[in-house]
Amino acid sequence: MSDQKDIQKINSTGFFALVIGLVALAISLYGIFSGLETEDPARGFLSWLVGLSFWLSIALGLLFITQIWYVFHARWPTIIRRQCEHFLSVFPWLFLLFIPLFIIPQIIGEPGILWKWLDGANALPGGHGTVQDDPLYQWKSVYLNSNAFIVRAAIYFSVFIGLSYFLRKWSFDTDITGNVENTHKARRLSSVGLFLLATASTLAGIDWFKSLDYHWFSTMYGVWFFAASMRAALSAILIFCIIVSVKGYMKGTFKQAHRYDLGCMMLAFTIFWAYISFSQYFLIYNANIPEETYWYNIREHDGYGVKNSWWVISLLLIFAHFIAPFLMLLWYKTKIVVNRLVFVAIWILVFHLVDLYWNLIPGKVIDATASHGYYIRQFSVEVFDITAIIGIGGICIWSVCRSMLKAEPIPIKDPNILTSLNHSE
Amino acid sequence: MSEEIYGIVASFKDTPSLYHAAEKVRDAGFNHWDTYSSFPIHGMPEAQGQKRSKVPIFTFAGGVTGLTLGTTMVWYMNAFDYPLIVGGYPFFSPVFPFPIMYELTILLAAFGTLGGMFIMNLLPQHYNPLFNCAKFLEVSDDRLMIAIEAKDGQFDPVATKQFLESIGGFDIEEVTA
Amino acid sequence: MSSDTTDCSIDSAKQALLDKVAPATLKDQNLVTNNREFSWVTNKICKIVESNTPNWWWVCMAVALVTASFTLMGLIWLVSTGVGVWGLANPINWGWAIVNFVFWIGIGHAGTLISAILCLLKQGWRTSINRAAEAMTIFAVVCAGIFPLFHVGRVWFAWWLFPLPNANLIWPQFRSPLEWDVFAVSTYGTVSVLFWYMGMIPDLGILRDRAVQRLTAGIYEETSKLRESIARGTDVFRKYFYGVLAMGWRNAGNHWRNYEMAYLLLAGLSTPLVLSVHTIVSFDFAVAVLPGWHTTIFPPYFVAGAIFSGFGMVLTLMLPLRALYGLHDLITQRHIDNMCKICLGTGSIVGYAYIMEFFIAWYGANPYESFAFINRAFGQYSWAYYIMFSCNVFTPQLFWFKAVRQNAALVWIMSILINVGMWFERFVITVTSLANDFLPSSWGYYSPTIVDIFTFAGTFGLFSTLFLMFLRFLPLMPIGEIKFIMPQADPHGHSDDDGKESE
Repeated sequence: MSDQKDIQKINSTGFFALVIGLVALAISLYGIFSGLETEDPARGFLSWLVGLSFWLSIALGLLFITQIWYVFHARWPTIIRRQCEHFLSVFPWLFLLFIPLFIIPQIIGEPGILWKWLDGANALPGGHGTVQDDPLYQWKSVYLNSNAFIVRAAIYFSVFIGLSYFLRKWSFDTDITGNVENTHKARRLSSVGLFLLATASTLAGIDWFKSLDYHWFSTMYGVWFFAASMRAALSAILIFCIIVSVKGYMKGTFKQAHRYDLGCMMLAFTIFWAYISFSQYFLIYNANIPEETYWYNIREHDGYGVKNSWWVISLLLIFAHFIAPFLMLLWYKTKIVVNRLVFVAIWILVFHLVDLYWNLIPGKVIDATASHGYYIRQFSVEVFDITAIIGIGGICIWSVCRSMLKAEPIPIKDPNILTSLNHSE
Repeated sequence: MSEEIYGIVASFKDTPSLYHAAEKVRDAGFNHWDTYSSFPIHGMPEAQGQKRSKVPIFTFAGGVTGLTLGTTMVWYMNAFDYPLIVGGYPFFSPVFPFPIMYELTILLAAFGTLGGMFIMNLLPQHYNPLFNCAKFLEVSDDRLMIAIEAKDGQFDPVATKQFLESIGGFDIEEVTA
Repeated sequence: MSSDTTDCSIDSAKQALLDKVAPATLKDQNLVTNNREFSWVTNKICKIVESNTPNWWWVCMAVALVTASFTLMGLIWLVSTGVGVWGLANPINWGWAIVNFVFWIGIGHAGTLISAILCLLKQGWRTSINRAAEAMTIFAVVCAGIFPLFHVGRVWFAWWLFPLPNANLIWPQFRSPLEWDVFAVSTYGTVSVLFWYMGMIPDLGILRDRAVQRLTAGIYEETSKLRESIARGTDVFRKYFYGVLAMGWRNAGNHWRNYEMAYLLLAGLSTPLVLSVHTIVSFDFAVAVLPGWHTTIFPPYFVAGAIFSGFGMVLTLMLPLRALYGLHDLITQRHIDNMCKICLGTGSIVGYAYIMEFFIAWYGANPYESFAFINRAFGQYSWAYYIMFSCNVFTPQLFWFKAVRQNAALVWIMSILINVGMWFERFVITVTSLANDFLPSSWGYYSPTIVDIFTFAGTFGLFSTLFLMFLRFLPLMPIGEIKFIMPQADPHGHSDDDGKESE
């Protein structure tokens, strides 16, 4: 445990985060129910989904990083790994916060409000009958149905929770016992865990995000979700480490060399994200098959060639989510000067959110007055988006604070702790 | 052969003593001197008081040249000089020539890097007076050396020798130019 | 917030925490075993080049040259007759040539991966294997280049692929993936050579200095006068050959500073390059609309496969070399373990991609796409599919077991299986999709001709020839970098644990 002053600060921060989180979540719930009356009832659920996926992607990315560090026997990030482990405590809460997305539509008797295919009676946009008449749905109904959805979601979350439970348990145990066997166990679990996690997060990405538009398909999607999560996770953990080191909790242990290496990883995954996103776009652009291109088309124009609001967002993803952080991170100074690095990390997180908007929000909303019988849901930042992000974030931060009280600020008896503390560029 | 002195070399027994000696030479304010070892030493540039290498500037210049070259080349050849309609693609777009732009960026940045390394190290330089020193050739194996050049403002044949001895050097020799 | 608020300043409470730090001990094997000295490393590696040519080398060289002549024969046959001598026929107009091209290019990728990506990840164990792996890269690119170069038929017009003005006044067509390939592969070859050469400069300097030292000492203890003068003459040759190539390298601190920076930058450039090369190779297939070719996961999947096959080839080459030259202290069990684990990891990523392709082929609900995958597994080429799947996905799973990783002979056999599996992967992708496409009336079956087989078999000879030449003339391992990871190179005193690894 850390000293009294720190404990007090952590306690009060956690309490504060919990209160704000609960209030914001209550507002979001209000948003969901009040949105039911509007012409686009799914929007409120999408707000919640965006908020959830933002924090989920951070937590999943950190679970990936922790295991990757174990598998590579990485020594320098040992002190950072402890901070990741605090974040790994959020999965059970994220599971609880995931449930409303499925349960509320069931309760109000419109199960297919968010994921259209959950209700076979849902009308298809453009007057093509209902979901159950859709041959594409009929083909996929073995996979896309509510029982399978529940079972799979339970499996995904048990993978996330199980892995994070053991990684945390063994690491915290080393603080007390100094038992090196814990490290060996964590390494072994991570090598298997990465496979489980890769499978679970890929399929989760398909189930929860890609199936929002169940016609579209891309084999790259799971890799995209991994890349995006890693970027978000690295930025989040960097900001977290800097905050706690400025506030005193990690003062003097988190140094320039750690920042530099985290900065390098941020750069690497910025490139990787661009590589994955570009490849997906590029292949679909070149092959030009209508079954696939429509997904990009609705994110560019209205069907008649008039650019819609997603066009600007698409360009922002290229220039602001890739090129700007890429150029900033190329600079050596950016990776060591605290202010600049925090700026880039916040920048990446903001545009990661924009990326999630761009992936999740666009969709066809049935509207008899529109020319095709539907219109494309446009980009907008709703109040309830913000409350969902803050609300779920508040719960996550509360959970992190709780976890911080359970272990030393740095893994003091980890075999690699000295290498990490003395890490230099 | 003139009897002019190129500089004085001194050997050191292991990596830590070379490292600490380098710090002392730096603090004594010498400018024209260097350490010699057959492997890079972690933290040595700081111990020698050297700034961060300037090679990245060359890399960056190479990369920007490559990107510009790739873009203009595709535009000139496929959209300006001889426009061809192929597969319904536009004559020019930033999407399809991306692989070309990308590869040329990397290619010229790599040439820039290697060239930058040569320029910053003043290589190729196949002759250097140090090569006349038999002990210097042993640096290739496991000898660790510091050489202070005569052109340094503080250089003095006797005092510098004593200085090198005082910081732990042995096998101290003058190297003629 | 300024940068110094997080650094250095430690108050008493934090000091109390730091005082509690008591790391448990974790015994890892050193990267250079048996507490070797610097001079032992220098001698061990330089002697490979400097000692007399061993007999096995001549035998291997003879075999390699004979095998390489097969390629020469195949190519002469092709050029003098026409591309019709290959087994290409409608509808399969891409056969062994593209398969072999992708196969060899893929093998090359491990070299760049070891030297670039592992360098960026600060994996100290790369040093013993990176030089040989980079050489492997270059020679593999040479072998790969033969196929696209000669498949154009009239090979003397191959320069039309480059953006040079020609008599027809037309330019290359940059919308074609094959044109992207030209740029990707030639850039890759060039940058690999630059990287390889720059890494070698300090070692060439060492070989130069040693030749000069021997010439100055003038002592050659050979059995006869003739042998003595041959030895002396060889050293004169070495003095100039290595001297010119070393560019006057002096091992200066200043040299190392710029060199290290340049090396890091080249590593930083090679990493996106190596990803892009196989990505662009995958575009050859994936931008098409053919079922089984057009799938968005191709780029990372091809890259993982390339690294996988490359590590297979590194193991195939390094295990015999380790035994022949007694390099057990430099290429330790830990190195082999790590390479096996990378094979396991990349092999599993490839498995992930196979399964994901299958799943999305079904999920996409496109009947042609579904058929393409069912046909792969159960159609006329299912034998190739099972070879591919078992070699690439199941074989590496054995690397979970320590006992397997410690059995060098078994690892070597498995590395060959990986190579076989990866060749079949490219065969399955290329041929099955072309043989059974949209129109059943145009379906066909592909068989290679003797010319195909000759040309491909010969490339192994060409590759071996080049590699054997490399062994004799250039330093097999980066001496400076190996010394860098030894405990004696630590400026802050020796420590028993090799703290530099994966720092």
